[in-house]
Amino acid sequence: MQSKRLGWILLAPTLVILFFFGVLPFFYVVFVSFHSWNPFAVNPEMVFNGADNFRQIVFDPAFLHSIGVTVMFVFFAVVSELILGYILAQAFMRDFPGKAIFRTIHTLPLIMAPIIVGSVWKLMTTPSIGIIPHYLDEWFGITMNIGTSAPAAFATIVLMDVWHWTPLVTLTLIAALVSLPPDPFEQAQIDGAGKRQIFWHITLPMIAPAVVATVFIRLMDALRTVDEVWMLTGGGPGSATRFVGVHIFKEVFPKTNYGYGSTISVIVLYLTIVSCWLLYVTMLAPRTKRD
Amino acid sequence: MNTFKLSASALALTVAASSAFAEIDEAWWKSAAEPYQGVTIRGVTESSPPSLYIREVLAPEFEELTGIRVDIETTSWDQMFDKAIKDMEAGTGIYDMAYIEQDIIYSYLARDFLTDLTQLLADNPDLKAATYDESNFTTFADYFKDSEGHLYGVPMEAFLKVYLYRTDLFEDPEIREAFKEKTGRDLEPATNHADYAEIAQFFTAYGEENDMDLWGTTAQAHTGHVASWYEYWESVAPTFGVYNWGINADENYGSSVANGGEMNGPEAVEAMQWWLSMRDIAPPESPASTWTEVGTTFGAGRVAQGLVYGENAGWIAADESKSLVVGKVGVALPPLAEGVLEEVEAGEGYIGYYDGGAFGLPHSSKNKEATALFLQYIGQNEVQPDWAVAAPRVTNTATYDDPKVVEFNKELGGYYDLIKDKGYLFAGAPAYPFHAQVREATAPIFYQILTGNLGVQEGLDQMAATAEATLTELGYRE
Amino acid sequence: MKKQNPIIGIVFWSLVSFLTLFPIYWLFVISVKPVVQLFSTPELILTDPYWGNYAKVWGDRLLRSYMLNSVIISTGNAVLCTILGFFACYALSRFKMSGKESIFFWTITNRMAPPAVFLLPLFLLMTQVYAVGEWNLLDTRIGMILVYCTFNLPFAIWTLRPTLDGIPKELDEAAYVDGASSWKVITEVVFPLCRPGLAVTLILTWVFAWNEYLLAATLTNFNARTLTTGLSEYVTTTGTEWGVMATISVFTLIPALIVFGLVQKHIVAGLTFGAVKG
Repeated sequence: MQSKRLGWILLAPTLVILFFFGVLPFFYVVFVSFHSWNPFAVNPEMVFNGADNFRQIVFDPAFLHSIGVTVMFVFFAVVSELILGYILAQAFMRDFPGKAIFRTIHTLPLIMAPIIVGSVWKLMTTPSIGIIPHYLDEWFGITMNIGTSAPAAFATIVLMDVWHWTPLVTLTLIAALVSLPPDPFEQAQIDGAGKRQIFWHITLPMIAPAVVATVFIRLMDALRTVDEVWMLTGGGPGSATRFVGVHIFKEVFPKTNYGYGSTISVIVLYLTIVSCWLLYVTMLAPRTKRD
Repeated sequence: MNTFKLSASALALTVAASSAFAEIDEAWWKSAAEPYQGVTIRGVTESSPPSLYIREVLAPEFEELTGIRVDIETTSWDQMFDKAIKDMEAGTGIYDMAYIEQDIIYSYLARDFLTDLTQLLADNPDLKAATYDESNFTTFADYFKDSEGHLYGVPMEAFLKVYLYRTDLFEDPEIREAFKEKTGRDLEPATNHADYAEIAQFFTAYGEENDMDLWGTTAQAHTGHVASWYEYWESVAPTFGVYNWGINADENYGSSVANGGEMNGPEAVEAMQWWLSMRDIAPPESPASTWTEVGTTFGAGRVAQGLVYGENAGWIAADESKSLVVGKVGVALPPLAEGVLEEVEAGEGYIGYYDGGAFGLPHSSKNKEATALFLQYIGQNEVQPDWAVAAPRVTNTATYDDPKVVEFNKELGGYYDLIKDKGYLFAGAPAYPFHAQVREATAPIFYQILTGNLGVQEGLDQMAATAEATLTELGYRE
Repeated sequence: MKKQNPIIGIVFWSLVSFLTLFPIYWLFVISVKPVVQLFSTPELILTDPYWGNYAKVWGDRLLRSYMLNSVIISTGNAVLCTILGFFACYALSRFKMSGKESIFFWTITNRMAPPAVFLLPLFLLMTQVYAVGEWNLLDTRIGMILVYCTFNLPFAIWTLRPTLDGIPKELDEAAYVDGASSWKVITEVVFPLCRPGLAVTLILTWVFAWNEYLLAATLTNFNARTLTTGLSEYVTTTGTEWGVMATISVFTLIPALIVFGLVQKHIVAGLTFGAVKG
């Protein structure tokens, strides 16, 4: 009944914009990744060096380390956000006094720029002067120094990310939960299903697309995290929080290592796409086919 | 704005500015600027008090005088380099002026990014202002000259990283007595590392005993920011006789002892061990401190002594809105290992960092003539004194003797005297066009030494090897 | 909606709200402290606020123009992305186009790119390719609106897709049977039904654009600088001006709060819409 042409017309603006601002720069990065190029080398020009950069990256301990800590960070942050976000979204589905106010409060962290979040958390966690280390010491006798303790720095960054981004998860899950039709739930309750059964067999499958979409967004944003970490630890102590985004940043900006930096980016992008694709195929695609 | 003292004394400045205005030959500037009416020149700079003074005071003054508009973009340190380099590399011509920190000038000159200002003015005598003369600048301007003595940047800030100490603590009779009892000598600013360490230990213990927030030394020892790397290589290692980061430019840029360098030599190891031992008795925030936090720590009265960048020395000593130790600050030369001073006097090294920057004129600029006028304007002796008071920095020799500056020097505990008399003992960053590249390549290893994941010798060995590998990769080392 | 003991709800939410609000409260505390007090022993309770930073920020004409740029860029970008995302999702959910699932997945890959390395090609494209005569896209508001599409458009498409898939196709078909044009079906039948999803998308894309730092810091110089880049001006060599930074941050929260206030209504409307539908 409806022509496919209309479909393409509706998609066209999106494709055009993404082509000019996403795909073309990507081609350029891919092109550069096959070159050695540092404008402050003896030879400042781009020199084609085949797959050298790609060979180097496989044995680059700094890069591999950054991938490792990034994966840990993403895992802890995203899982905590998902669980917390779901609990809060469910809690918002109930009625209680002052709900509108609480919902507004809960979305506040979202509207803070990562660079601001990084600054505030930096001030809150400055060793001995920041309010958190100060009271941890005064009340519990615990010393917290994000300048020397890798676990403290890592935990602070995970906590900061959870604080900042759980509201996003809550919001998208609320949007998914409110649009659920009530019939299956009523039916299940009549049939005597327990809460857990309802969650695993009815709620979760029905909100799965929204959950996957949310996980995707959080996953890829967490992988790109730079601003907050830059403000808070700069990647330290040592390389404990030198996430891959920070690593690339340091490689490309101060070191002006454009060639190798591009290679790292291409590899990181590739790894991200593959892991997201796997997630997508296993979680979401079977469902769409069933429809 | 965060211009030092600017908000507090805006009125005084306006008055002062208009008096400086009178000494300047208005007619000449107006006629010289005639062809460039309606032109806007644009600069990019790091957000620092001297830059903000240009943006808030000198640029508007210049516009009023000549009709040439000056827009200054101030941004953070890392952003500034990236933006200037991208613009000059691509030849876009966004900027007519770029801030050149002393340590990047060699990279820019190697890439021929900048216009030869000496030549430009020689070729265009109409543009040459009578009140501008390259010989007015202090020796700091030499860093921005090529081998033929041609100038590529008009200096706009210059600082020393100095030894600051708290005069109120050092002169307190009870403290002096306690110190004498403990150590058997008088409490005076240290001249060597052992004395410095003794004083540091004394004050850290003193703070603990008296339940005060007081420690014996600062340490710019951030475990993820290059500030720590700089403190060690530019301010600590030289005082042990390791210059130019321990890289030997004459020996094919060898860095390791085996290849003629000193990066992992015994002096470097000793310097690192000493510095780490100081870090351990510094305030707890030190492992998370860059140059800014070190300044704040000192300004908050948390330390008795320390090495502090000169741009901070100004507000620490004199700005009551930011500092709790106004009027209680003395300056001295950093503590030195035996023989270093003699070596430096003989011209073989330096005892600390002479930092600063200039405004350069990129080749890619589309408004070279108008920009040359502005650069001369900010280089004149006449505009310097107010600038030196508003944002402590001195770039012209005559500035030291201006009454306002002499007066201000007292507030600063004699800091300007130190630059004037002892400035020659300090030096800028080594003449390396690969400054940022080698720094970034070795910094991750350096942080591992700070966190204790690597031993000092082992870490320095790795740094030397990495520096050599990077230099080979970049093509400097054959 | 279920009922429960209101006390439990209030206690639970008060606790959550305390944790949520504390860093924001602290931001405010920093903004009303003179610099000298920042590095002394912290006090939990605010006494004797100092308003100097507010006077400074309020009187700064540059910051006002940054604020305007931020509002225009993020609003323009959020509206553009939400509308284009809606169209794209309608196409993806309603038409049998070959390879549409691949296209859907591909859109999101645009958001995955580590930004640092893409700054150089974007800079070159915007100064040299997307240019007409003397004019080019760099340092323009429209340029930033388009650049922000690279991360916001995929986001819009991904959050709107479930919403559109959830609206029964029978509704469109019924409207077509009644003789409505495609345009009418899209704008008058489907669009209103998507309101909650659209509201959430609009809010979140707006927030992402409002908070973006790295791209704005690199791709703007004088004319299109945003508030977040204004913040970086206060990270100076002689000490980060935490107080001023915090004050600007408080100011950046205000427009964000207004937008949230405006759009929340639609989310609430969405809540009732869900109930009515059942």
